Amino acid sequence: MTYNEWQGGDGRIRDHYAPLARTVEALGSDELGRRWQDAARQVSLDAFTFYLDPKRFRPTPADWIPRIVPAEHWQRIAAGVAQRLKAINRFLADLYGGGQDIVPDDVLYTSRHFYPEVQGFRPPQGLFVHIYGIDLVHLGDGRYVVLEDNLRIPSGISYQLKTVELASRVVPELAAGYDIAPYAIREAYLQMFRSLCDSPSPACVLLTDGRYGSAFFEHRYLSDLLGIPLVEGADVYVGHDGRVYARTLDGDYAVDLVYRRVEDLELFVPGLREAYLDGRVVLVNGIGTGVGDDKLVFVWVPDMIERYLGEPPVLEQAPSYNLQDGEQRRYVLANLERMVIKARGGYGGSGVFVMPDLGPAYKTRVAHSILENPEMFIAQDTLDFSRHVVLNERNGMLEPRHVDLRVFAIQDADGNVTVFPGGLTRVALAGGRITNNSSGGRCKPTWVIG
Amino acid sequence: MQAHLGDRLAAPTVTASYIYAARYGYSDRVLHNDNQLRIFPGADAAQEPLDQQLWIRPDGSSVEYRDRFGNRVRRVRIVAPHDQLVVASAGRIRLATWAPEPDEATVDEVSDLPDGFDFAFRSPLIDPDGVADVAREVAGDVGSLLAATRATVEWVHREISYRRGATGVTTTAEQVLATGEGVCQDKTHLALGMLRALRIPCRYVSGLLTGQVGETHAWLEVLHPRSGWVAVDPTRGVLFPPASDYIKLAVGRDYSDVPPVSGSFLSRGAATECAAISSVRFADVEAIFDDAIELLSTAYVVRSGA
Repeated sequence: MTYNEWQGGDGRIRDHYAPLARTVEALGSDELGRRWQDAARQVSLDAFTFYLDPKRFRPTPADWIPRIVPAEHWQRIAAGVAQRLKAINRFLADLYGGGQDIVPDDVLYTSRHFYPEVQGFRPPQGLFVHIYGIDLVHLGDGRYVVLEDNLRIPSGISYQLKTVELASRVVPELAAGYDIAPYAIREAYLQMFRSLCDSPSPACVLLTDGRYGSAFFEHRYLSDLLGIPLVEGADVYVGHDGRVYARTLDGDYAVDLVYRRVEDLELFVPGLREAYLDGRVVLVNGIGTGVGDDKLVFVWVPDMIERYLGEPPVLEQAPSYNLQDGEQRRYVLANLERMVIKARGGYGGSGVFVMPDLGPAYKTRVAHSILENPEMFIAQDTLDFSRHVVLNERNGMLEPRHVDLRVFAIQDADGNVTVFPGGLTRVALAGGRITNNSSGGRCKPTWVIG
Repeated sequence: MQAHLGDRLAAPTVTASYIYAARYGYSDRVLHNDNQLRIFPGADAAQEPLDQQLWIRPDGSSVEYRDRFGNRVRRVRIVAPHDQLVVASAGRIRLATWAPEPDEATVDEVSDLPDGFDFAFRSPLIDPDGVADVAREVAGDVGSLLAATRATVEWVHREISYRRGATGVTTTAEQVLATGEGVCQDKTHLALGMLRALRIPCRYVSGLLTGQVGETHAWLEVLHPRSGWVAVDPTRGVLFPPASDYIKLAVGRDYSDVPPVSGSFLSRGAATECAAISSVRFADVEAIFDDAIELLSTAYVVRSGA
């Protein structure tokens, strides 16, 4: 039976939600509806957006009833996330450093995000991934399972901060009776930036794809939070000395670190990739990390953990199948109705087929796609992951929806990993299991409590 | 190198020189160009490469691996801005001049062999169901693997007329059957579809035809329970040709698995031209890059315009 975060099978509110449930009841559905409207207004005023279509202003949809992660759950999550990030970084260093034997060559080298030009390159302190996002689902009773890793330009940490902040502004009563774990993203990021540069006060910029990008809110928010300039491609150039410069009205200055939020660097700043590979500038994250979050490479992450850390993985991951393997392909085709099929290179919920939620007509189409292009997909068992409640503003009822949890972590040059308590809880549409914001999902504030 | 020559190949053999060259033109500057090359003959019971050279202009960073069909693939990512790309592969190779005649076998013997599992079903350009009617008409009652293969190959050779320009790289087996014309790739796709409809595992081969200058060639291999993969060529109407007729570059389910050059590029412009040519001679010609460029000037334009 699907685990419900809010209440047990007997209908009793779970202990860690009891104070929250009392507050919700005391406020009443009319008042909650008003607060939700206030919050929606505030979301618009703050331009808290997530764009699906660059031409249309789109406030980020959210539900303000927090998701609560008990401390004992969080300890496991944090340990598992840290372990995964460390192992993946070791793997990437070996892969580009010239020797890994965990993942088959053809899997790695057919990945769109493997970059041959990075071979032989050692990034500052040997680290490729500095900022990491990981998607988890909760099967119940503290069993959190990894669905995917995000190693390129993981987005959402500002949404984590902003939903918590807005909830506490608009419905401050909700926090009554809770000891919410604090975290300091600004200090952690800046310390991490410094650790990657030779200078104690490095010149950093945040490179954005511009105001029409889907996550521009996040770029602006982080630039404000970290106190580093937000730049577009035209604001930055590579000088004759091979260093990166930012243009300002007071003259151009050399940049030590680019926190880049764009994928195709050369499209935005010609020469930036070469400057990085020549060691003239630090990029956060590095180049070539995407091979590690290829959905097929995912299959081997537990092996990376065992190999590099010599310990078993703390977090389980969704059982996954390599469709290039004849035996596994045969098994998946025979059990297609209970599988999730994902495009290897897809992101944001695109190219994800949750077979139990799709009609029989889809089954034939997906089976044909797998037979035709087995190298383009992976299969995972469909997980019956948890649901939480969201307020239906029309009738004042609390309704169940599937939720996931994207957790963010950073690793600094000394190898230390910081996992930020909480995360971004994303809510699927009614009847669905896909939670990505780019697929229309809502956000929820997330608390870790002591 | 010289010492182990002939160890692998049963005599008699012959040595050939080959070159494959391709040129791509673009309407605007290309910022990066990421391609997989399948233009390197591998070693097997029928061929043994002696030496090889590869030119890529402009050059890029590369990595070599074997794909899931065992083909040698070189992935090359060029990050220097360019508006033209030339790729050429050349070398000398030793080829067996005879092919063992496979013995009699039944279709049932090969239908479920694990080796054939990748090559028994639909693939991007071949839907066996779409050509099943004609497959059964031509060879449906035949239980013999060799007789079914012979009937199918001869039928395709006879009924599909060779015509250049009628089809493209994405033409499916069904479309070839409908129009009744095509080039070697199309005839091979149709024969593969018909044989798969009869539950005979078979695979597409991309390679060069010896003794000629022109485009790459395509033929197929049928799985045999004792002889392994045996070659047949519906374009030339030949069964079990000697290895010295061909240089084999790659095998796959259909063309989409084995294009000599495939990939993607980042540019504000479009690809405007793609020309390719190959040449195999038995004279011991020393291939140099200039030859490749000169050859390209006479190459067929495989695709032009946006």
